Amino acid sequence: MTKKIILGIETTCDETSVAVVENGEKILSNIIASQVKIHQKYGGVVPEIASREHMKNILIICAEALKKAGILLKNIDGIAIANGPGLKGSLLVGLSFAKAVSFALDKPLIGVNHIEGHIYANFLVHKNIEFPFISLIVSGGHTSLILVNEIGHLKILGTTRDDAAGEVFDKIAKYLNLGYPGGPIIEKLALKGGKNAIIFPRPLTKTPNLDFSFSGLKTAVIYFVNEKKKMQGELKVEDICASFQQAVIETLIHKTLIATEKHRINAIVVGGGVAANESLRREMLKAGKTYNKKIYFPSKELCTDNAAMIAVVGYYKLMKGFSDSFYLDVYTG
Amino acid sequence: MKILGIDTTTDILSLAIVESKKIIFDYMVSTPEITHSSMLVLSLREIMKITRVNINELGGIAVSIGPGSFTGLRVGLATAKGLAFSLSIPIIGVNSLDAYALRWNELPGILCPIIKARQDDYYFTFFKKEKNNDRLIRLEDYQCLDWMSINRIFDKYNEKIFVFGEGLGEVISDNQTKYFKEDKVVLVVREQEPPGARNIALMGQERLLQNKEDDVYKISPFYIKKSAAEQKRKELKIRQKDINQDD
Repeated sequence: MTKKIILGIETTCDETSVAVVENGEKILSNIIASQVKIHQKYGGVVPEIASREHMKNILIICAEALKKAGILLKNIDGIAIANGPGLKGSLLVGLSFAKAVSFALDKPLIGVNHIEGHIYANFLVHKNIEFPFISLIVSGGHTSLILVNEIGHLKILGTTRDDAAGEVFDKIAKYLNLGYPGGPIIEKLALKGGKNAIIFPRPLTKTPNLDFSFSGLKTAVIYFVNEKKKMQGELKVEDICASFQQAVIETLIHKTLIATEKHRINAIVVGGGVAANESLRREMLKAGKTYNKKIYFPSKELCTDNAAMIAVVGYYKLMKGFSDSFYLDVYTG
Repeated sequence: MKILGIDTTTDILSLAIVESKKIIFDYMVSTPEITHSSMLVLSLREIMKITRVNINELGGIAVSIGPGSFTGLRVGLATAKGLAFSLSIPIIGVNSLDAYALRWNELPGILCPIIKARQDDYYFTFFKKEKNNDRLIRLEDYQCLDWMSINRIFDKYNEKIFVFGEGLGEVISDNQTKYFKEDKVVLVVREQEPPGARNIALMGQERLLQNKEDDVYKISPFYIKKSAAEQKRKELKIRQKDINQDD
C-alpha cells in the first residue's frame, strides 16, 4: 500500500496544533502550542486574544511539525483542517492558512468536524474499533452523545442544554478561587475528598432523553457553599470537588449507557479534554465490565485538542474520495 | 517579476497582481454576507485562471497588515503566509494607511487617511509630500481616536488637509463643522473604498527591490489597539495602583 501523508491543522479554540500523520494511524509529528497560560489570568478563553495567538503561531508550528516529521510540504497528500465548531476568529486563521497551502501546492483540502476529530483520536490508539458505536465527547466546549455508523457520519443523540461538562469544572474552580483550567485542579483536590460526602443532583438522569444539563448542578454547588458560609460551617474544598466530580461522572456514564441500550450498541468511544479525567476513565471501564460494553479512551495526550486527530479524519475522508472546494467556510456551532 | 497584493483591511476584498508598472488585474468585491475567508483563495484562483498567470510566476506576496478589521487582517495575513511559505517566495507587509496615502498622493496639501475602527474610533495618520519630489513624509504616529480628537490635530496645521478613507459616516454627517466651512479640511471620498491591493502590491514591489522583505514567521498584523480584555485588565491595574497609592 502506498503511503498517504496528511497535514492536519487545528485552531478551533485556544490550541494551535499542526500534525503530520501517515495512513491515518502513524503520528510522525503532532505539535501543540497551548495558550492556557495566557488565558489563565482572564479565568477563561478570550476569543480575540486566542485569534491573535493563532496568527502568531500557525506558521511556526507548521514548520516545526514538518521538520519533526522529516516531510517536505510538497510531499504531503492532503490538508485536513478543523473548520468547526469553534471560535470564529480562531477558525478563520487556520482555514485561511490551510486554503493557501492547498492552492499553492495543488493538494486536496479536507474540512474536518472538530468533534469527529475527538472521536477518531481513538483510532490512533486502538486498531480494532468496530462500527457502529456510541461516542461520548466531553470537553470545555462540548458534551455530546453521538451514534457513529461510519466515517463522515455522525448522528447527535443528545447534547448539553447549557454548560458543557468541562465548562462547569472551570466555573466551579473559578467560584472556589482555585484557578484555571478547572478540570485538572478539581481532579487533583478530589483525590483527597469524599466522593459521597455531599450528594449533589445528577441532572436529567431521571428523564429518558439523552440531553445533558449542568448549570443546575453548578447552582447547587454554589448554593451549598453559600449556605455553609452563612452558617459558618466548616467547608472542605476537597469534599466539594470530589462530590461535584462524582455527580458529573455518574451523569455522563448513566446517559451513555442509556444510549447504548436504546440503540443496541456494544461499544463506547470516549474523547475530548474531560476524557483525560482519571476517575471518569476508571468508572467508565468499571461500568463497561458490569454492562458488558467495550470501552475505548484515547491516550491522555490525545484527549486535548490536537491536529493528529484532525489528520486521521482527513485521511479516511480522502480515502473515500472526499475533498472540499475553496468555498469551504468556518462554522461556530 | 509578478507581485500579488492582498488587501482585507475593510469589508471589501481586494486582490491585484502587478508587474513593474503594469497592472495585470485589480479586483475588488464587496459581499458583506460572504466572508473574506471563503472568497479570497476562490477569487484568486479564478482571476489567475482568466488572466493566465501561473502561481509559480509569483515573485512575492504583498499584504496589508493594518490597521483595520482585526479578523480581516488575520484572514489576509494567514493566506499570505500560507502562499509565501508554500511557494518559497518573499512576503512584504504594507501598512494600510500608507497604501491609502499613495492612492491620493496627487492632492495638494496634507493627507489624512482614515479607516473605521470599533465604536466611534478611527485609525488615522497624517502625511505631507516632500518638496521637489513625490515622497510622502509621515507627520504623526499611527493612531486610533474619535473624530473630535482628530479635529483637534487639524489645529496644528495651517495648510489644507484632505481627509479620505473608509467608513466615514460620522465625518460626513459632521461636514458642517468650522473646518469644512473654512474650507481648511476637504473630504475627498464619500463612498467606501479600501486601501486597495494594487497600492499594496506596488508598495510591496518597491520594498522588494530594496531587499526589504519581511520574515514570514514573524510578520504580524499591526493592530494598534489591544484586545478589549487586555485594555480592561490594564485599566483595572492602573486603578488598583491608584487606590494603593491613596493608602
